Amino acid sequence: MARREACESGRTPLSSPASYRGLRVSGRCLLLLACIPVFIYLMLPTLIIVPMALTKGQIIQFPPIWISVHAFADYFKDSQWIDSTIISFKVSILAVCIACVAGSSAAIALHGKTFFGKGAVVGIILTPMVIPLVVLGLGDYLFFTYVQLGERWLEIGLAYSVLVTPYVFITVQAALAGLNPLLARSARSLGAGSASVLYHVHWPTIRPGIAAGAIFAFAVCFDEVVIALFLQSPDATTLPVRMFTSIQYELTPKIAAVASLLLSLASLALLAQAFLPRQRLSPR
Amino acid sequence: MQWSAKRIARSPLWLLFPIGVIYGTLAVMPLALIVRFSFAGGLKQYRAVLASPLLARIAENTVVVSIITTVVAVLLGYLLAAALWRSGPRLRVLLFMLVLLPFWTGVLVKNFAWAALLQDNGVFNELWLVISPTHKALPLLHNRLAVIIGMVHYVLPYAVFPIYTVMLSIDQRLERAAKSLGASDFSVVSRVIVPLTLPGVYAAGLLVFIISTGFFITPVILGGPADMMIANLVDFYAHQLVDFNRAAALAVLIVVVVSVLVFIYQWCPKEGQYGKA
Repeated sequence: MARREACESGRTPLSSPASYRGLRVSGRCLLLLACIPVFIYLMLPTLIIVPMALTKGQIIQFPPIWISVHAFADYFKDSQWIDSTIISFKVSILAVCIACVAGSSAAIALHGKTFFGKGAVVGIILTPMVIPLVVLGLGDYLFFTYVQLGERWLEIGLAYSVLVTPYVFITVQAALAGLNPLLARSARSLGAGSASVLYHVHWPTIRPGIAAGAIFAFAVCFDEVVIALFLQSPDATTLPVRMFTSIQYELTPKIAAVASLLLSLASLALLAQAFLPRQRLSPR
Repeated sequence: MQWSAKRIARSPLWLLFPIGVIYGTLAVMPLALIVRFSFAGGLKQYRAVLASPLLARIAENTVVVSIITTVVAVLLGYLLAAALWRSGPRLRVLLFMLVLLPFWTGVLVKNFAWAALLQDNGVFNELWLVISPTHKALPLLHNRLAVIIGMVHYVLPYAVFPIYTVMLSIDQRLERAAKSLGASDFSVVSRVIVPLTLPGVYAAGLLVFIISTGFFITPVILGGPADMMIANLVDFYAHQLVDFNRAAALAVLIVVVVSVLVFIYQWCPKEGQYGKA
């Protein structure tokens, strides 16, 4: 009630500081009101997934008339879907590990350096983020017909590692921004070797950056379809590819169940990133 | 002299080795292969791709859909960014979570949800059947509108953040100054705030447009056969026609266009004239 009055008081003429504040509040009310439909639009698909997974029967109904977990049971009993889930985990973990090593070491290498062409080097490192996925997928397909590794999931994982290295690079670079480059030099002048500088100076600083980048990279890998479509084989069909092909065929509660599991994974990742400890700034 | 030599020797540039190996083998070589495939038989592949009426239609569709998506996303994103900017610290955290959760939800999960919402016996049509006099389901899925709904939903967070960043850098005293000089609320918004946020709007628009042109999954799941976009055409050449040379030529053309757009994006200013950020 008091809020509504505050909104309405905004109509008084613009002379005293009090009415000025009221005006601002009324503008804010209008703005938030206008945003409500947009937030509903944003949240609607996310909110609808879990109830759809709880539908009884083989057709998706909303609102679900009978609450049932049979869709989840269907998923856990289907060996094809479970195999795909395992493939997706293997692929994502491989890609994230490679990306963490390559991305964070590159960020350390460039930390505190100013040289001609540094901007270009950073640009090249970030390039995989802007190359369209189809182009990468086609290129990887052509590449892996020449260089056959035998294991298809390995190839998908390697292809993903390039895709997600920029994310780790960015987060590690952000973590390193708080570290004075002189610290590494003074550690060296006190007799620390390269490995010891990396372990005692850089590693504590970049840890939260690596964690944040790894979480994001994992989320990207676990959702990627296009490259996996080009590289898939019957024994290496990732979970997103299986979902993509079955969505085109039919919308079943089983897919809703998988989608709600993916959604809970994404929410966990979001929470993990929100509560990640912030990096400590180095003493000046 | 001695000092600088020592510094170079001690500087950990060898740490660039892992990324060099990864990018060299898994990014440069695949792209080089694409270029090589695209030039099989001279410029023949390019001529064939460019002359095909399919390309003209799909390119037009891609541009039209991307422009509509960009305009809608930037307008809605501006609204959300303004709400974030103007809300108190607690409300802002909540709104941020609301914007970020869809950002983290995978594109497949989102598209599946939209397909289930828009299909003939989906939620929207169930509601429509209750109020409609004819009791006929609306064709909501497998058309351009569905594609745009899904695409805007995906790109909206990308539109919010550049605009929000610019808004944060606006000096709030400018607004008070305008008011003390007698400007109405409307003219404060239209003549002070909007012009100052334009760099963010351009950056957001370009970013959203670049992302939109690369869509692959949404047109397949939410669109019909006529809603193919340029990325789907590469896949069509590669998987349906098994013509990797033409797919490669089209891929090269896409990379050229995207590079130009990215270059413009890099070049355009991303913070306000009176920005601190």
